[in-house]
Amino acid sequence: MSATIAVSGNAALRVSSTLADREAGWRLVHHLARFIDDARVPGIACVIPTYDAALIEIDPVEASLERVRSYVESVLERIDVGRPLTETPRLFDVPVLYDLDGELDLAMIAEAQGLRPTEIVRLHSEPTYVVRCLGAPGGSPMLDGPAFPAPVPRLSSPRASVPQGVVSVAGRQATITPAAAPGGWPLIGRTPLVLLDLDAEPFVPYEPGDLIRFHAIERDEYDALLGTRMVAA
Amino acid sequence: MSAGFLTVIEAGSTQVTDLGRTRGPRYGVPVGGALDQRSARIANILTGNPDGAPLLEIMAMDVEFVADTDILIALAGAEASLLVGGTRRPNEQPVSVRAGETIEIRRIAGGLRAYLAIRGSLDVPRLLGSCAPDSVLGFGGRLIAGQRIPLRRATPPIVNEHFGAELYRLNVPPRPDATTVDATDGPDIADFANTAARLYGEPYVVSPTSNHIGLRMTGVLPERQVQGEVLSRGVPVGAVEVPPGTELLVLHRGRGVTAGYPVLAVVTTASLDVLAQARPGQTLRFRRVSEAYASERARAERAALDALRLRVQSVFTALDAFPTSFGRTLS
Repeated sequence: MSATIAVSGNAALRVSSTLADREAGWRLVHHLARFIDDARVPGIACVIPTYDAALIEIDPVEASLERVRSYVESVLERIDVGRPLTETPRLFDVPVLYDLDGELDLAMIAEAQGLRPTEIVRLHSEPTYVVRCLGAPGGSPMLDGPAFPAPVPRLSSPRASVPQGVVSVAGRQATITPAAAPGGWPLIGRTPLVLLDLDAEPFVPYEPGDLIRFHAIERDEYDALLGTRMVAA
Repeated sequence: MSAGFLTVIEAGSTQVTDLGRTRGPRYGVPVGGALDQRSARIANILTGNPDGAPLLEIMAMDVEFVADTDILIALAGAEASLLVGGTRRPNEQPVSVRAGETIEIRRIAGGLRAYLAIRGSLDVPRLLGSCAPDSVLGFGGRLIAGQRIPLRRATPPIVNEHFGAELYRLNVPPRPDATTVDATDGPDIADFANTAARLYGEPYVVSPTSNHIGLRMTGVLPERQVQGEVLSRGVPVGAVEVPPGTELLVLHRGRGVTAGYPVLAVVTTASLDVLAQARPGQTLRFRRVSEAYASERARAERAALDALRLRVQSVFTALDAFPTSFGRTLS
């Protein structure tokens, strides 16, 4: 079996990949989510695919956990984990005003990693990231973390409100915040781009499988770009 | 063209909502919607609306409205005094309101959230198919005094002013015990080893910082026994977590859909309605149940609401048979 299925309350199942290949596991849970979405199974409320897991929420009155479990098992057997999620991923270039003025948490992150802040910026803006999933808050693009020596600890006391456009890292993950919300992830900079568009569905321009690159900008460039909509290159 | 307007005189802490945005979580947006789903359904059912019609969620504080057309309303959820034109009217019954009569809801007690449905519902903007407010997206929000909400339908007072009180009994199923919260073991309960049992043995007191995102509670906390980073993943509504700090966190419908904390337990769908009515300072106890029991209870509760819907439909059908002047001459 390519995944384990754990009951998560009387209205949800958590499907976790057991594949050794992380990329394959990620494709597995996203193919699963897309298949179930397209099938419009009565009683399945929604599927939330992430890095290596998918949460399947059901209406316990309309569906039973046992039936949904055996359905999911049968779908899992048919998924080709070698198939790419997106034939032609789009690339988003994201300018970032990195926190070299000590306004956010970059200095703290650098110290914890035993690196200079400029090294942190270099490591963060080097890779091309794959959007692994849309997460909280507001459809954040959830990415793999940069190649830092160690996982980044979350803040001991979360901020009551993190503004939109903030670029953050935690553990072995990275993201951009599309909408202001409370948050416990350390912040390393901010983008002038606007991610959220409530007139569009979904509200954010990227989807899992798309690509994101960060590049450093200066304050004047940030000011000039402030409010620009995030679009694919 | 709307049928009229409901004007807010005293807003309290009120929002227009529905049963939630089920298409949201797929896109990283919480499902949201009425925290006490059962009471919201009851209010809508009593007015002959679909269960998921937009209605008002009124939290703790007094409110007052007036409509410029005749309407039919029903109040469900927390205990409260419903006054129409200054006269006390029953909760959990359809109540006719004439144009210009004030609708007051006062002294919300024995719970935190009351639900006011209006026959025909309200004409409000939707996002991904739902009018439920989302504070993160900046969609919807609290009503303010003076605001006018378009009504989708006027309902003439088709019965006498004792509507509901004397002609028949609708027998709304009673609210469940408000101090016991049923939960099933979570997928990560092993992370808490033998400290997990504390959840079911200790009392927990609801903190004032609780909201639609989650309830925070103080008490003897279970402790995570394993270290290590958890990748963000979908967390179910009802997830019981122990974040750093001194409080237990029970996620509710406004929760961020992904998080990296282990899930110790999950509150049952039926008990989420109990949590929606829990007031700060209240003491709650968790009771360990099986998923099968929880699902059975969810089905039984929905069956009771289905039966209520049938009774309401037959009453409305019977009343529609009367000439509308019947009610007017009597009242």
